[in-house]
Amino acid sequence: MENEKIIRKEQTRERLLRLAPVMGLILLFAVFMAIAVIRDINIPYSFKNIINQSVIVVVGATGAVFIYTLGSFDISLGASLCVSALLGAMAYNRSGSLLVMLLTCVGVAVLISLISSVLASVFNLPVFVTTIAMLSLLNALALVLIGANGTGDVIQVPAAAVRGINNVWVKLAVMLIYLGFCVFMFNYTKLGRHEKFQGGNPVCAKLTGLNGKRLAIAAFAIAGIGVGLGAFLTITYAPTLSRNTASSVGMDIIISIVFGGMPVSGGARSRIWSAAIGAVSMTLLNQIMLTLSLDSGIGQMVKALIFILVVFISMSNNKGNILPR
Amino acid sequence: MKTVKKFLAVLLAAVTVFSLSACGSDPNQTTGTAPAASASSEAEKSGPDDSKNVKIGVLVSDVTSAEALAFRAYYEEYIQKQYNVTFMYSDELADAAAEASAIDNFIANNCKAIISFASADRPAQIEQCEANGVYYAVATGTLTDEQYEKFKSYKYYVGAIGPDLMTEYMAGYNMAKSFLDQGYKYFGMFGGATPYYTEMHIYRAAGMLVAMCEAGKGTYLGASDFGGMIGAIYGAGCQLAPAVIGDVELVGYVGGYDFDDAWFGKLAAVANDPKVEVLLAVGSGQTAFAGFKREGQKLGDIDCYTKDSVALMESGTLNYLAGKFSASIGPIFMATLSAVQGHPIRNAEGNAFAIGQGYWVADNAETAKEYFAVDSSKTEPAYTRAMLDTLYGASYQDFENFVKAYSFDEIKNLAK
Amino acid sequence: MKIGKRIIGTLALPLLTLLAVWLISGARGVALFETQLNLLTFIRAAANVMLVTFALAINLNSGRFDFSVGSVALLSSVISSKLALALGWGPLAMLLVSICAGALLGLISGAVYVTVKLPPIIVSLAVALFFEGLAFTITGGHGVSFANKASLLGFSTIPNFLIIIVLTLLFMIIIFDHTRFGYEYKALLSGQKVAVNTGIREIPNALLCYTIAGALMGAQGFISATTNGTIQMSLNFGSISPMFMAFLPMFIGGFIGRFSNDKLGYFLGAVCSALISLLYVRLNVSSSVQQITSALLLVGFLIYLNNEGKLKALFVRKERGV
Repeated sequence: MENEKIIRKEQTRERLLRLAPVMGLILLFAVFMAIAVIRDINIPYSFKNIINQSVIVVVGATGAVFIYTLGSFDISLGASLCVSALLGAMAYNRSGSLLVMLLTCVGVAVLISLISSVLASVFNLPVFVTTIAMLSLLNALALVLIGANGTGDVIQVPAAAVRGINNVWVKLAVMLIYLGFCVFMFNYTKLGRHEKFQGGNPVCAKLTGLNGKRLAIAAFAIAGIGVGLGAFLTITYAPTLSRNTASSVGMDIIISIVFGGMPVSGGARSRIWSAAIGAVSMTLLNQIMLTLSLDSGIGQMVKALIFILVVFISMSNNKGNILPR
Repeated sequence: MKTVKKFLAVLLAAVTVFSLSACGSDPNQTTGTAPAASASSEAEKSGPDDSKNVKIGVLVSDVTSAEALAFRAYYEEYIQKQYNVTFMYSDELADAAAEASAIDNFIANNCKAIISFASADRPAQIEQCEANGVYYAVATGTLTDEQYEKFKSYKYYVGAIGPDLMTEYMAGYNMAKSFLDQGYKYFGMFGGATPYYTEMHIYRAAGMLVAMCEAGKGTYLGASDFGGMIGAIYGAGCQLAPAVIGDVELVGYVGGYDFDDAWFGKLAAVANDPKVEVLLAVGSGQTAFAGFKREGQKLGDIDCYTKDSVALMESGTLNYLAGKFSASIGPIFMATLSAVQGHPIRNAEGNAFAIGQGYWVADNAETAKEYFAVDSSKTEPAYTRAMLDTLYGASYQDFENFVKAYSFDEIKNLAK
Repeated sequence: MKIGKRIIGTLALPLLTLLAVWLISGARGVALFETQLNLLTFIRAAANVMLVTFALAINLNSGRFDFSVGSVALLSSVISSKLALALGWGPLAMLLVSICAGALLGLISGAVYVTVKLPPIIVSLAVALFFEGLAFTITGGHGVSFANKASLLGFSTIPNFLIIIVLTLLFMIIIFDHTRFGYEYKALLSGQKVAVNTGIREIPNALLCYTIAGALMGAQGFISATTNGTIQMSLNFGSISPMFMAFLPMFIGGFIGRFSNDKLGYFLGAVCSALISLLYVRLNVSSSVQQITSALLLVGFLIYLNNEGKLKALFVRKERGV
């Protein structure tokens, strides 16, 4: 009886902790609404903003969950998005076709991801360091593309060409379709289960016959699709692209995934929804900071404290006597 | 897990519902339609309406630059205290998407107008503001001729005040010329963001090089005039290099903002080249060269007036500074406020204005100190309330005359 | 391992790098060490990279990825330069304060980590944001400028950098190879759970690691600030870029560590990095080319490192004529 009580208490505690990122999101939402009402903000318009501002990070980060589930890390996603968007825009300017632009964005992003993962797999390189090298290469490539395009410091798609698809419906549709695809792949297919297994215990995974390299390649490919879609959405939202396009997206993806309660070490506790929860939470937090009109430095310090607090609540179940790594 | 999914589904549905209502939501309905213009002389007599707070969003691309901080100090520590306005600042805006997001945020926060210091995609900014009935003004910059032709008649486009590209070119030209006229022949140059195809720095660099070509009676990359030099720089992929220019020589050149050991090494190498007499910077000269400068070398920079730059002038480290003065954004603020309160300033054709404004140039410490004292004053800046109030609902001619009289002495006369 | 093999293994990479850069610069008609300034540039880069490499490696080897090293350098240099300018201190006092401030900031970072018990990468993200914000707030966003203070800029001399290099190297070798802390550090490195179960106190060890890393970054921040007399502010993870310069030297150090001492290896890795940096300076290589070259070198070396066995086997097979 006592034991049952203890077990039930632990299970409840586990459930609450798993819900912590969602509760954090709800809390941020409530704070945002409170401030919005007090400051008489245009709330419907704000919701449109939140979608616009979070959708790119949601699709990028959701795909990246597959990489993180393996216990890996990719720091070059922002640079990859930038290069994909630049090439997508150039493809549009040559073809006049939005479909070509979309396919180019996705194709280039997947190709970049595959290069990183294949290099790491074939040559047994640490994935993270490979992505650091890719970051430098892609940043240089972005500058080369802009120079080669010969239109000054930007590459542009005519605003009229993307105006028709620059709306909440299209963005929601893209986000939900990709989210649905990822949820399906992650939770209802062998790939998702294998990825969690590989991330949780690579030795056992190998002994049971799983090919870690193939899983890594698959994870990066799926992440590449997300990055490509993010690049396409970036062009539709802001059709003027520069070498700084998506410069903050790389870190935003990492922050969103962590903020959404995703364990950095990957494994079975990985949650595909972490990215979406984290991205929307970060956007709400940014909105709150902006409305409070805090000084840049102070605002960043406040953000850091809220970040660590939310993540602490959602991840604080370390019962062991060793420090996490 | 099921509970999580339920929560998310409900949340997503709620967000979608609110978004659908946002699709039909016209910020104009919340912020009010644009007020009609009324007689400018009456408006000028009555002055700005301080009864109702006006929220103005400010787009800033670089929150850490000395120039951005000086501008912010003028708006927040002077203008905001003098007028019933609230400025809302964006975070650092790295690209056009960030600018679009920031404008959306301002609109959601009921900003009546946006003053922009960010230039990743000005046309998109203007279109976005026009679509949402929010006034838009360009501070410290201008539109291209093509862009101006397209947007000049837009109802919510207030106008632009700032250095146009020719002013940037002349800033570089005049700076180099001032040293060439003193007999210096050997130069080192910091090209700033020239390798990133940033027009402002390209034009400043072009001005310096043309001045050297004229003095040295030579050419650089086969060019020696304005048009040719711009073409030559772009033709070289914006990667400049040292060269002999007739009797003058560009001994060393560094471009970009790498901030790594190699970058500092290159800057030190240029500054320490025994041949180099003068170091010229298209911007950030204090960061690039001041620390490496040798005794007897001269340093010229195009930047802004700060406590640090004045200290460098006083110590003789910096010898020439062409800088924007922080109150230069006063007139664009007043034009914006005037427009919001129903008295837009339009030119004779009824279009938005595009007025060039240049730099204050100091080539000695006393002048720099004098400029900075005015520029940093929280009570008597270059453009005080009394001066700015004369622009409220002013005629285009009066407005233009005021803005164009931007030199230190002209402003002193205006103040009188 | 024979002493000859150790010496060759230790010096091979730095000498090969020196040879390569010397040949490339020679082919372009440029002398690598033409002036004393070139030597200063090289030594300064070596000191800079060495400090960052040590700081990163201390925690990274223990599985603790730290994004906050750059922000520690930034904030400690802001604190020390503000104090030095206000109180009229010289460079030595500023350096000592920077090291102490860095140590304190590192300790705070470590304290947050051991208190919240979150993955270190997450903690480092929050700490980086916080320290950047704090540096921005302290300076009002203006940064710090002392480009006209010859006394502070005058620290940048070859003897001073050599002293820093030697003292740091000695410190690292002594503390990590000849103290109880060092033995415990290595035990935790190779078997965390077993080490803790045998009674090693992981928390004080981790705290000391973060403190030492912070002190090293304090020194690096000082060098960076006194290079050109300005400290620029960074927000939104702008300070994380210095971290990336340490990866190649770290891997080189790991390779050299097989033949001698890994701390010596990190230093020699920094020397290789500094030689490449000097080549970029002497040939005025553009930023894009630098980035591409550095990335290719990193990947290339890693490919060799992680496939050494296969390459050796291939070589032996070829020798045997198979």
